[in-house]
Amino acid sequence: MLVLLVLTAVTLITLDQRGAGGGLISGARDGARDAIAPVQTAVDDAFRPIGDWWSGVSDSAGLKSENSRLRKQLADARSRALAAGPARRENEQLKQLTQLPFVGGIPTVATQIVSASPGNFVSSVELNKGTDAGIAVGNPVVAGQGLVGRITSASKQRSTVLLLTDPASEVGVRLETGEPGVAKGRAGNNLLTLDFVSPDVEDVRKGGVVTTAGLQNALFPAGLPVASVVSVEKTAGDLDQKITLRPLVNVGRLEFLDVLMWTGSPVAPTAPAAPAAPTG
Amino acid sequence: MLQQIRLGLLVVLMVIAQVALFPHLRVDGVAPDLGLVTAVAVAYREGPNGGAIVGFSGGLLLDLFLRTPLGLSALSWAITGYVIGVLQGGMVRSSRWAAPLLGGLGGLLGGTVFVLVGGILGSEDLVNSNSIRVVVISATYDAVLAPLVFLLVGWALHEPRTTSRVRGGRWGA
Repeated sequence: MLVLLVLTAVTLITLDQRGAGGGLISGARDGARDAIAPVQTAVDDAFRPIGDWWSGVSDSAGLKSENSRLRKQLADARSRALAAGPARRENEQLKQLTQLPFVGGIPTVATQIVSASPGNFVSSVELNKGTDAGIAVGNPVVAGQGLVGRITSASKQRSTVLLLTDPASEVGVRLETGEPGVAKGRAGNNLLTLDFVSPDVEDVRKGGVVTTAGLQNALFPAGLPVASVVSVEKTAGDLDQKITLRPLVNVGRLEFLDVLMWTGSPVAPTAPAAPAAPTG
Repeated sequence: MLQQIRLGLLVVLMVIAQVALFPHLRVDGVAPDLGLVTAVAVAYREGPNGGAIVGFSGGLLLDLFLRTPLGLSALSWAITGYVIGVLQGGMVRSSRWAAPLLGGLGGLLGGTVFVLVGGILGSEDLVNSNSIRVVVISATYDAVLAPLVFLLVGWALHEPRTTSRVRGGRWGA
């Protein structure tokens, strides 16, 4: 009996990983997600307050340290905001001039998170809208401060966002200095690792913000804020610097997200009129 | 037959709870594996074949909602159900520690098999130091919930008749 079950499971795994199965597997997954969607929504409505309370209980130490860190950031931000008005207006004008694809030109779909991943080994969240709302696999997902992740699967009523912090997530980014690199998710600690930055690159500033690179065939449009530099370590003989990033969006406490109707494909009907895959 | 229908419904309910409810009740970002504990409870009462079949069914159902390859949970939970079913033969049946002990053991075994088999079959992202933390926390959570799940499985498999039945007979040899 066990041998039969193991063989069946291995066959399914192989079919799924090779994309075989004639759409049967993805169809079954989409159907299951749509079928459970009403239950998920009802449970989410009923248990969100309990879940918030539970998060507070199980993560009180983290909340305290985050609270003090956020208070300090708020004070810094208030003082900077007073001085940033003219720069912001100038920035808006420059953005309009250069027609960067992420500014205004990309339609968005507002969504709400209904659930985190039911599994323990994937950092993802489930959104309350799917292909019926125009969402497609590959669409970038953003929150107020910047990039959150991208859509990895979508049924009619639901879609799944693979978060930046998942080990399978890789984002082509640029440092403030313009140097490119790849930000990869780390398991378990809400941090990212920035790979492929040569030790020759100077001026990697702690606290500096990295943005999506938007290179040819990139998964994300250029210029989306991604993360800030937490630490930089250079070791003699290493080919890369060891750079750690913290996502600008706190992925653990999200509720509402915007999905960008951008697939990176030059023939995508929803792509903006401006260059969809800018160089740089 | 009635017992199997009840058990089937229980497995479906456990997976729905896993998908819809327990993402809200994570501990340090980790949720329990209710379907796996259900398979362990069935293995405790019915032996290796019952544990393997329930583990496979529940795992396959959960796999529909995961990004990991379809069949990976089914495989690891079937193996776990089978192994626990073999191990339970030497246990003291009346021990009140049986449920949390087997629930925790099943969680450790199921999580470890999931990570290792996933890594071998191409999901290299699963194999990292954080996975140890996740497996241990999840297994502890499983152990805490196991007494309740064992009670539910006991209700599902309860037979009103007093006739004796050979252990494992319901699931074939």
